[in-house]
Amino acid sequence: MTGTASLWRNHILPFTLLVTLLGVATVMGDYLLHRLDLVWVGRYLGIPGTLLILASLLYSLRKRKVIAAGNVKSWLSTHEIGTWLGSLMVLIHAGIHFNAILPWLATIAMGINVISGMVGKMLLGRSREHIQAQREHYQLRGLSKAEVEQAIFWESVTFDAMAKWRKVHIPIFIAFAVLALGHIISILLFWGWR
Amino acid sequence: MAMSKILKIVLAANLAALAVLAFVYPHLMVGPGKLIAGHAALETDCFACHSPFVGATAERCTTCHKPEEIGWLTTLGQPVQKPLTGTPFHQKLLKQDCLACHSDHAGVKRFRVEGRFNHALLQVDARKECQSCHKLPADSLHRQITGNCSQCHTQQKWVPATFDHDKYFVLDRDHNVKCATCHVRNDYSRYTCYGCHEHTPEKIRREHIEEGIRDFKNCVECHRSADEHDIRMPGRGRERGAERNGKNEDD
Repeated sequence: MTGTASLWRNHILPFTLLVTLLGVATVMGDYLLHRLDLVWVGRYLGIPGTLLILASLLYSLRKRKVIAAGNVKSWLSTHEIGTWLGSLMVLIHAGIHFNAILPWLATIAMGINVISGMVGKMLLGRSREHIQAQREHYQLRGLSKAEVEQAIFWESVTFDAMAKWRKVHIPIFIAFAVLALGHIISILLFWGWR
Repeated sequence: MAMSKILKIVLAANLAALAVLAFVYPHLMVGPGKLIAGHAALETDCFACHSPFVGATAERCTTCHKPEEIGWLTTLGQPVQKPLTGTPFHQKLLKQDCLACHSDHAGVKRFRVEGRFNHALLQVDARKECQSCHKLPADSLHRQITGNCSQCHTQQKWVPATFDHDKYFVLDRDHNVKCATCHVRNDYSRYTCYGCHEHTPEKIRREHIEEGIRDFKNCVECHRSADEHDIRMPGRGRERGAERNGKNEDD
């Protein structure tokens, strides 16, 4: 019982809140822009949203050690915040007007991607709990506090559940990226630049 | 992490299929909303209107909409049955900038103010000829006036006219006359008080010299109405007119 309550309170509830908050913030943002007669802002909000999502991908480069700067945990937080906020902007940009199919496919793929990301966050938290028990073991081996934290973090991200989750998260991201790229190219192609 | 080979193939195949669909059905896949009824035949031919990475251009519009025929003939060369404007004016534009006023696609038209006309788009000569497009009102005031619309009207708003004659002279009693009595040759920037028998140059001169007033060329500088007892002299404030034996001097 205690385990289930802990699972709900520590993991499922925060996940549910994050997803719900994204939906509520989208509706509120859309309503506000209409109310303040700033609908044109939503038309361009896709740009900063996309840039935020792209910037958050630096976490992946850091994880694969393509870049060396920065703490991996900090980069992951940046990725989580950047993708949540970026998705919010893109959702407000999408609005509730249905015209072309391609951008809506990209939006749906983004929605699945961001929910997948929040599932991953939940799984990561769960796996860290399990591995926390090994902290004492590492401490007994004489590692410093910082070294112990880093060692536990790498254990978490390589945990089996995370490996399986990644097999879903990455392909969804590829689908989202290709569809979003198609939408962006079509906009550049047909926009009234002159 | 490595994606399984099958997953990669399935993913690539789906994305390739969507790419093909985008070219076969562009109006559904990337078009931001339906075109207007007149352009329905172009719904799959995006480049009929759009130059790649440039946008819709006036040159593309005039391929079908010949400027000399707009408002007169349709794109098929038939006379326009129900003109949208009282007078064709596209022939009097400074330059062909179709997108200054027109757009298409339901999702784009939301962001544009439709039917927005600006006189600044017209050639200078056409801008001055108000009556070439606008019919003169048939009320008693306008019946007396020909042209010179800009003396009372701006090109930002037609109604109401931004003119209040009371600010210059109150038109009551004996002064409620035809405009041409005081404004000769249709020139409303000037006036004369000698247009009727009551005020003659000699009489006005005599009355003012008697009061010690030598400069009486600009009557409304002091007289803003027919009330001789309400005279405002610059630098001297309001003064009551002189009364002799309780009668007005002109009686």
